Amino acid sequence: MIKVNNLKKEFERTKKSRKKEKFYAVNNISLSAKEGQIIGILGPNGAGKTTLLRIIGGIMEPTSGEVLYDNMNFTNNEIEIKKEIAYLSGNTKIYQSITPYELMDMCLSFYEFPKEERKKIILKISKILEINNFLYNRISKLSTGQVQRVNLARCLVHNPKYYILDEATSGLDIISSQIILKFIKEERDKGKTILYSTHYMEEAENICDYVYLISEGKIIMNGTPKEIKEKTKTTNLRDSFFKIIGGNV
Amino acid sequence: MKEKITIVLKKELREVFRDKKSLAMMLAVPLLIPFLIIGISALFDSEINISSDDFNKIGFTYEFTPVEENIAKYYNVDYKIASLKEIKKLYKSEKIDLYITKDNDTYQINYDENNEKSAQTVYLAEKFLEAYKTYKQEEYLQENNIDSNKALNIINITYNTINDKKKNFYVNYTTSYAFLFVIMAITVSATYPATDTTAGEKERGTLETLLTFPIKSKDIILGKFLSVSLSSIITGLLGFTLSLVALFYSNKWFSIYKDINILPSVQTIIITIAIIILYSFLISGLCIAIASKAKSFKEAQSALTPLTFICFFPGMIASMVDLKTTSLIALIPFLNHTQIFNDVNSGNINILHITLMFISTIIFVSLVLAYIIKAYKSEKVLFSD
Repeated sequence: MIKVNNLKKEFERTKKSRKKEKFYAVNNISLSAKEGQIIGILGPNGAGKTTLLRIIGGIMEPTSGEVLYDNMNFTNNEIEIKKEIAYLSGNTKIYQSITPYELMDMCLSFYEFPKEERKKIILKISKILEINNFLYNRISKLSTGQVQRVNLARCLVHNPKYYILDEATSGLDIISSQIILKFIKEERDKGKTILYSTHYMEEAENICDYVYLISEGKIIMNGTPKEIKEKTKTTNLRDSFFKIIGGNV
Repeated sequence: MKEKITIVLKKELREVFRDKKSLAMMLAVPLLIPFLIIGISALFDSEINISSDDFNKIGFTYEFTPVEENIAKYYNVDYKIASLKEIKKLYKSEKIDLYITKDNDTYQINYDENNEKSAQTVYLAEKFLEAYKTYKQEEYLQENNIDSNKALNIINITYNTINDKKKNFYVNYTTSYAFLFVIMAITVSATYPATDTTAGEKERGTLETLLTFPIKSKDIILGKFLSVSLSSIITGLLGFTLSLVALFYSNKWFSIYKDINILPSVQTIIITIAIIILYSFLISGLCIAIASKAKSFKEAQSALTPLTFICFFPGMIASMVDLKTTSLIALIPFLNHTQIFNDVNSGNINILHITLMFISTIIFVSLVLAYIIKAYKSEKVLFSD
């Protein structure tokens, strides 16, 4: 179980007058995600989704608050927690000069898998995500969709317990998006915990079990997609969002 | 921990060796070093072995005695005797390099110091006149019944070379510059992979990916540092090996190195390799420290350009002013590496200075690494957005 308690992240930005000012990209956010759940983190650009997920993924330190994975925190158990996480975002790119096989092999080495086991895992994952046709081609030669599938493959080679997916399907073609969404649902059904942020409201409504709506670093509403629609008296999440924040998503 | 560092190291090296630009940076300067050594040697050689026929055309405004004629023949003087007016014409038309006029017992060498040929021919004119002067002195002494041999050689001057290292100015000059170019090659070689592994990786978004793995940022830094250092060491050793090959052939080809063993001793080679390794560690750390602060590859390259000059100039200036190594100098980074090399290369092995250089470099590398590890906790360094 992932538990986020009173998370805050302060940054500095330059105003038009060239004066510096501090602001909270994440402002006192608390949330939890249980096993077998896909938790949607939804919000407009600049809402703080990426910062929140970076902190939850352990690649950025919070100003205050804590993130607990089965009651373990990053301060004392960084390596143990990261071994159980798969983090994928629009910002996490992969090495262009190597092949998908070499990339997955490197990832499995980080997770301390023995050499004999690594090959078996790579071939299995390649089949699931349909990347076996270009497994030995340099990543620089692959299409955007193929690269994102390889990126997802490198995330899940170690059979993680937790998935943190930030705009995982952003900019992808329908086929690649469907492969990824199908995979996410299957992982949820296996009891994995998935934190999922997206711009696509229909997509979120379709796959998320529980949703946190975020604006200016704060949670403005949370609940199941059905509960949110009922509360806002709308028929879909997109309209719900517009009704709450009154802006563009 | 060691395994994780090795994985990062392997990953970084794979990227360096698969990137044509990185490889070009690693090889470009070392490949130029042999040409530099052979070029400098050839230049010195051509200056020293100038043919006497090139600077021997002298005009005289007076008639020769038979003795002067013999001396001119002996020194291979290509002489022209004519009136002052004619001689001046010959000089203007470059038929002669200088001319000598005579007023009773005063002989005057007329030459142009700004004209290379004229200035060089002065030495021959002086030798010619000195020989004639000696003849006249002997003649005078004999006329006065004085033993000319005793009078003229009242003291004897002999020469004995005390350079037991069998090195000369040319060897020291050539090897010093060769080493400076090795230093430059290492610096250039460190710059590109350091930029690519820090600012480049941040710009491409792969650094964020690396941070998601179960590895401490300290291990990431050490892996990156070792890969940049290793690339630099390879470049340094390649440059040094090519220098040795070029020195070996220069020793054979050019007469300025005649009877001298231009190649460094085994001891010098070992200490030079140690200096190359130490310098590679220092420059790699500094390049990573500077490049990691940049947001883009381009920004990092601009930031690193001054470092290329900063590391090259202390050594160059030290060579020019003939700086003597002191304990303080042995502690100053950049300067100590070239100074210790120059000392060792000239046969002056000072254990204290070498030890101080080792300690100083290790301390500086540790400080730089501590700084980078601390910097890699900052969002400004880790994320480009």
